[in-house]
Amino acid sequence: MGVRCFNVCLLGKNCVHPAIRLTGVSRRFGALQAVRDVSFDVMPGERRAVLGPNGAGKTTLFNTICGDFPPTAGRIELFGTDITRLKPHQRTRLGIGRTYQTSLLFNGLSVLDNLFIAVRGLRPRRFSFLRPGRDDPGLAQARALAERMRLSHLLGVEVVNLSHGQRRQLEVGMALAGDPRVLMLDEPAAGLSPGDRPELLRLLRELPRTLTLILIEHDMDIALPAADIVTVMKDGEVVVEATPDRIEDDPVVQAIYLGGGH
Amino acid sequence: MRRGIAIAAALLLLALPWLLHAVLPANQAGFWTGNILGRALVFGIIAMSLTFLATYGGFVSLAQMMIAGVAGYTLAIFVEGAVPRIVGGAGYALAIPLGVLAATLMGLLVGAIAVRTRDIYLLMITLSLSMGVFRFVETNITWFNGYEGIRNVVGPSLWGLDFRNPWVFYHVTLGTAVLLFAGVMYLVRSPFGLVLQGIRDNPRRVAALGYNVALHRIAAFGVAGFIAGCGGVLATIYNIGISPGTIGLGATVNVLIMAVIGGLGHPVGAFLGSFIFTVFDTFAATVYDRDRFNTLIGIVFLVIVLASPDGVLGVGTRLRRLLGRRAADK
Repeated sequence: MGVRCFNVCLLGKNCVHPAIRLTGVSRRFGALQAVRDVSFDVMPGERRAVLGPNGAGKTTLFNTICGDFPPTAGRIELFGTDITRLKPHQRTRLGIGRTYQTSLLFNGLSVLDNLFIAVRGLRPRRFSFLRPGRDDPGLAQARALAERMRLSHLLGVEVVNLSHGQRRQLEVGMALAGDPRVLMLDEPAAGLSPGDRPELLRLLRELPRTLTLILIEHDMDIALPAADIVTVMKDGEVVVEATPDRIEDDPVVQAIYLGGGH
Repeated sequence: MRRGIAIAAALLLLALPWLLHAVLPANQAGFWTGNILGRALVFGIIAMSLTFLATYGGFVSLAQMMIAGVAGYTLAIFVEGAVPRIVGGAGYALAIPLGVLAATLMGLLVGAIAVRTRDIYLLMITLSLSMGVFRFVETNITWFNGYEGIRNVVGPSLWGLDFRNPWVFYHVTLGTAVLLFAGVMYLVRSPFGLVLQGIRDNPRRVAALGYNVALHRIAAFGVAGFIAGCGGVLATIYNIGISPGTIGLGATVNVLIMAVIGGLGHPVGAFLGSFIFTVFDTFAATVYDRDRFNTLIGIVFLVIVLASPDGVLGVGTRLRRLLGRRAADK
């Protein structure tokens, strides 16, 4: 818990709202308590990794923050604004971008069209029968995103023909549409070949520090270098919160995650 | 390149009646122009409304023939000269837009009713709506003249030319089909069309991105209703009237057959399918036993779908791929 104090002292009392503040967040599916009384703050610009074994409630916690399953108890704030009851797309418009554990892309459309739909969803006049012109700002933004994700050479390619690594890059690109303030990545390295991992890690490290990053990751090699602070979950609860260098030595983490857990 | 092919195809279709006239006796040329090509275009338009929904939205709707029928009945009810006279008084210039408007509204209504269903459930709900309208029209005398339907919808005369002249009918129908086809090709690249394809691939993501999925779905059914309505008006004039059989189960399934044998995947498939269907529907009885010609039609369609699950369009794609591989091998 020392880390949180450090942040608050550094930034001064009440001078900055945390990017994400969870207070007593729980989510229940019938008899199953998937997330139990989770509280933590993520400060603006911070890189936070959420680790934990399968079934620890990481993705459910993500979905409560993104609005796919609102919490059954507790409160979620985004830069001081209560977003607990908002719908997913309202949260997107307030500045939360997310990726999904299994890519949710539009397979029959090109890379550019996927990005264009993502950009367009955040702007007014979403519903339109008129084709975008050549200098449409939405198209320009979509091209810029492709450039950032190193997909410029694949703009016209149908997504179904992309490699798995390229799909993950596109997924991140779509989450970045509309310049979110908080980017949530759900296992960005899932299913990636070892060769594709450094590329992804480089993309994550290139993201500007104005962006707050929360990622769920199984792979310590991605999670630890990318994160400032690591939160470890088990059985729906937070069990450890510490800096990456301390995580590997933590006896609780070693017990549940690195060795004894499996 | 693709635009060049499209323009060449349109010019060929435009000149086709004269080509037919050059190679066939006059009465046969007229028959082919009006009763084969013209009819194929009319039903191609109705089938295209189904193909549009299925290809770009992933919705298989069995309501499209019924929606076309709504346009036809509206035209027949309001136009002056139809027998029996239900409302009458309107010229074709008013009654035709009224018919298309009614079909568009019916499309929106069907879309709104079916907005939460997918796949087989969407199929069933659109089929039951169709059959509901069919039974209602068949038994209601006051508005639809029941089983007999409404006759003598002869169509307008254009600049002194009789609409019933096969050449006039063919060219009006061709013009309508080309405009609607171009409209669909424009629309699918608009934000509406892209989001519609997004809904087909991944409705959850579309909603998460901030789009109103229901609104886009209902609008797609409205667009399809407009297309089917244009086809319905032309079909009613082609048949010189409309009766409940036009929107019965057989007709509903025929439109689906046209769309499937042509190939879902591109709107042009609807026209290929309706052409093949029309040719077999017209000539099967003369080629094969009069009582069993439906067997021949059924076998032909079965062979097409077995040989190429994605219809005639799929054959083209496969051939191109094969030829491409040959060229690459050399």
